[in-house]
Amino acid sequence: MTTKENPPASAAQEAPASGDPSKAVLKRSRRDVLRSGGMLSMSSLMGTAALMAQPGEAKAAVEWAEHFQKNYRLMTPEEKAEARLRLEKRYSGEYNKKVSVDITEAQPGVLMGYALNIRKCIGCRRCVKACVEENNQSRGARPGERIEWIQVLRMERGEFTADKMNQGYPEGLGIQVGGNAYSPAGQVLEGQYQYTPEAVPEKDANYMPIACMQCEKPPCVKVCPVRTTYREADGPVVIDYNWCIGCKMCMGACPYWARRFNLTTPVLPKEDMNPVTHYLGNRPRMRGVVEKCHWCLQRTRHGRYPACVEVCPVGARKFGNLLDPESEVSKILARKNVFRLKAELNTFPKFFYFYD
Amino acid sequence: MKRFAVPAAVLALCGAAILSVLAQDKPAGGEAAAPAAAAASAPAEVICFESRKGATEITQREIKPGLPNVKCSPTTGAALWYADPYEGTVPMGKMPQMEAIPEGLAVVKPRSEKLNLLAQCGTACHNGTYPVGFPKTNRPVPIPTMEALLPDAKNLQHGRGRVWCLDCHHNTKRNMLVDHYGDPISIDQSQLLCGKCHGDKLRDWRDGIHGKRIGDFTSTGKKRWFTCTECHNPHNVQDGARNKGFIQLQPETPPQLPRGFKDAAFEKTHAIPQH
Ligand code: SF4
Ligand code: SF4
Repeated sequence: MTTKENPPASAAQEAPASGDPSKAVLKRSRRDVLRSGGMLSMSSLMGTAALMAQPGEAKAAVEWAEHFQKNYRLMTPEEKAEARLRLEKRYSGEYNKKVSVDITEAQPGVLMGYALNIRKCIGCRRCVKACVEENNQSRGARPGERIEWIQVLRMERGEFTADKMNQGYPEGLGIQVGGNAYSPAGQVLEGQYQYTPEAVPEKDANYMPIACMQCEKPPCVKVCPVRTTYREADGPVVIDYNWCIGCKMCMGACPYWARRFNLTTPVLPKEDMNPVTHYLGNRPRMRGVVEKCHWCLQRTRHGRYPACVEVCPVGARKFGNLLDPESEVSKILARKNVFRLKAELNTFPKFFYFYD
Repeated sequence: MKRFAVPAAVLALCGAAILSVLAQDKPAGGEAAAPAAAAASAPAEVICFESRKGATEITQREIKPGLPNVKCSPTTGAALWYADPYEGTVPMGKMPQMEAIPEGLAVVKPRSEKLNLLAQCGTACHNGTYPVGFPKTNRPVPIPTMEALLPDAKNLQHGRGRVWCLDCHHNTKRNMLVDHYGDPISIDQSQLLCGKCHGDKLRDWRDGIHGKRIGDFTSTGKKRWFTCTECHNPHNVQDGARNKGFIQLQPETPPQLPRGFKDAAFEKTHAIPQH
């Protein structure tokens, strides 16, 4: 009863489960609908329709329409515009501010590329937090409620010392197999995500940020059973959240730990919500869908740098158009020492690590 | 005796001016008294720094209802998000070998306006006629009067002792830097000075490979360029024992602990479940 009179509660205040059966139906995700199957699900949907005919239930009405919209790639321009208006209305009501949902298509002649200077990164994690602010990730306190797309990996430096130069393994048996087997040499490859020093960069550590690599041959796209994730013409791999059934196949297929699952209803405080969104980008997500980095489509489709590039204090992050020989990434590819992560998997990332 | 007294008084004045520049984040003494009562009820001004502490700072305010110009990190005070990356910028001006970039597409945040407060320093003591006791040679020595004002002046960590004040600062125009010919350079154009020695870095910076840039990513788009001293502290580039170009910062908070993890150290012995 109370839910009918109050304006739609924010995601933060919404109780995880409701005893009210009508509300439970409204909160069903696409996955639930698919799971229940056949006539049973149709009848329950009809019931929902009757409930939603009441005025003042903008959010519910929109959800109802969303259940019947097509996969974003199959929509006509008119249908896209409709979907956009629907969502703008719904989010503006839900978050109490004017929310825009962009549907700008890929720009011709643009293939986005990213480069990161691995020697410059100081591990400050500002890129991680900027991404959360920009892309409306869930930021609750309970387990599974905090979602960050970027991870910064701390790696300890090993050592090469003169006195151990000819020390071999096994020692004392007269067999010399090679130097320095007793202490970590060069880079210690086991990384750490939960580092908490007073100040960074630390003397004996290197840092390696990881997020979605926007692969040219993305395994996540290959495995998606409902084809909701796909590669856009200008590069980024995107997700139509409305068609995601939350099967997590893509999470299993991604070799870079780039995808996150909304285990709970996302916690997104109204005042912190970023009202400039893109349909395929940072619009608020629902429970039970997978999300990931999309190179800030809402910004980059209009020429602006991604949020992580704008806040990196050392300028380790570079972004540009791979098809433009004058762009920053093209210059880096031409001039610096570049490598890609897990290149042997033939995913062909458009995310390049480089060093001077 | 009288000869010393006058410069000392002026120096004290300069000191006050510099300190007021440095202490911009706190309301100055005179203003603080009046709105003190109001400040008790109104929330304090949020000021965050951009790349490093002590360099460019931004005051948080609302552009539209519910939309701040910048979001500041609650844990470290760093700027985490910009609504308008060009806020408070001016055209960078002429740069050698960058004639192809149309005027206005490369913008910087000016520092010279703040330094204009210090004009009295230049006219009183630093007008080229040095005070008594001022070193005559180029051998770096501590300058006791300036130490009180600029704590890092004494401990210059740049070029391992080969560089001193007048290698970078113009000897009569105190608000300016100096180029190879002894001509003044605007303090907003520190790259022209730094590039005198660090030519390879200047080339990379010009091409957008080194250093930070925000705004428009297309090669023909408008961008805000960060000049050298916005990221590097020129008086302490080597940052002590670490001997690196960027000072240490407090990091943001780590990711949420995965289920079953007791604390951060737990990760060292147990791998994070990847999915
Ligand atoms: S990094 Fe992972 S999520 Fe991103 S495109 Fe590649 S496989 Fe897909
Ligand atoms: S903001 Fe830049 S320096 Fe800081 S962790 Fe991210 S990439 Fe590294």
